[in-house]
Amino acid sequence: MFSLFYGLWKYMFSKTEFHVLILGIDKAGKTTFLEKLKSTYSNLEGLPPDRIVPTVGLNIGRIEVSNTKLVFWDLGGQPGLRSIWEKYYEEAHAVIYVIDAACPSRFEDSKSALEKVLRNEDLQGAPVLILANKQQDLDEAVSREELARYLDLKKLDERVYMFEAVSAYDGLGIKQSVEWLVEVMERSKRTEMLRARAGLTGPPA
Amino acid sequence: MGLVFTRLFSSLFGNKEARILVLGLDNAGKTTILYRLQMGEVVSTIPTIGFNVETVQYNNIKFQVWDLGGQTSIRPYWRCYFPNTQAIIYVVDSSDTDRLVIAKEEFHAILEEEELKGAVVLIFANKQDLPGALDDAAITEALELHKIKSRQWAIFKTSALKGEGLFEGLDWLSNTLKSGGG
Repeated sequence: MFSLFYGLWKYMFSKTEFHVLILGIDKAGKTTFLEKLKSTYSNLEGLPPDRIVPTVGLNIGRIEVSNTKLVFWDLGGQPGLRSIWEKYYEEAHAVIYVIDAACPSRFEDSKSALEKVLRNEDLQGAPVLILANKQQDLDEAVSREELARYLDLKKLDERVYMFEAVSAYDGLGIKQSVEWLVEVMERSKRTEMLRARAGLTGPPA
Repeated sequence: MGLVFTRLFSSLFGNKEARILVLGLDNAGKTTILYRLQMGEVVSTIPTIGFNVETVQYNNIKFQVWDLGGQTSIRPYWRCYFPNTQAIIYVVDSSDTDRLVIAKEEFHAILEEEELKGAVVLIFANKQDLPGALDDAAITEALELHKIKSRQWAIFKTSALKGEGLFEGLDWLSNTLKSGGG
């Protein structure tokens, strides 16, 4: 009887918490994306894009979508700061990789940083969402198909991934991105693995 | 928990005031930073026994900045000032490489404090004007900042003597506190 109620209680009130890393080189728009997420999904205002300064550390965003809690870790992307990315890999359920689609001159840099992320063992099996950001710059931004072709990532085939065209500035593509993430994280092997490691195979303590 | 903080922050920042603690080992430059922020000039300081407190108005936020003495014998008293703190500025002498391990240990001990759980963390890698000062990436590594996963943090290279980096740090603080903090 108790376990029945417990199960019901758990079903109604417990929410899984997912950790999502937001990575990408500097000026890709990671923090703007995070702030847009916050303003779209929570009652926090979110900083307007013109007040956002380069990140030299960690920004955190917490949102709730249906019955799922998402914690976003937005890390600085300047070359000297990228070394700390990997310190966050072990606990991440998924990765959002942001690329400034309107800045082809930095695609190479973006690509090599992303390849390094994909190669890392600590991120094994983590779903990857690659964002072709800054779609509001219509004349310059490349589409997600073009971006995928530019990047030509062989390493991607081994994992769940998606390219999405977004504009962190005006919100284009944000909802589709989050919905996709939640869906793939809920049934990913990586989530199972992280749960098992945290000792949460049974009911949470 | 998030909701509690949201409420706390909105009630606190309706009138835009924030209580900030400036912490760090002795001789890190805390007092020099405080007065640089408050008066815009370098004052000659002596080791702080006890505390200095000043109000700094910046970006529409009134920062009440508490500079606590950093010597070993008085560090236990830091705790008395922890309640109701929205942010910690942790100051490191970037050229004092011998004591970075101690700086790291003190830092993580502070973060463990229950009463500071909701505070955002700003690190000043200070004394960048001195030869041999480590840069922000190296200080990040030395302080093991990556261990912080449940609150926002940022690191800035500063020189309190030259007045560099300090207000960039305050910009970050005011943005972060306004957008909902940790």
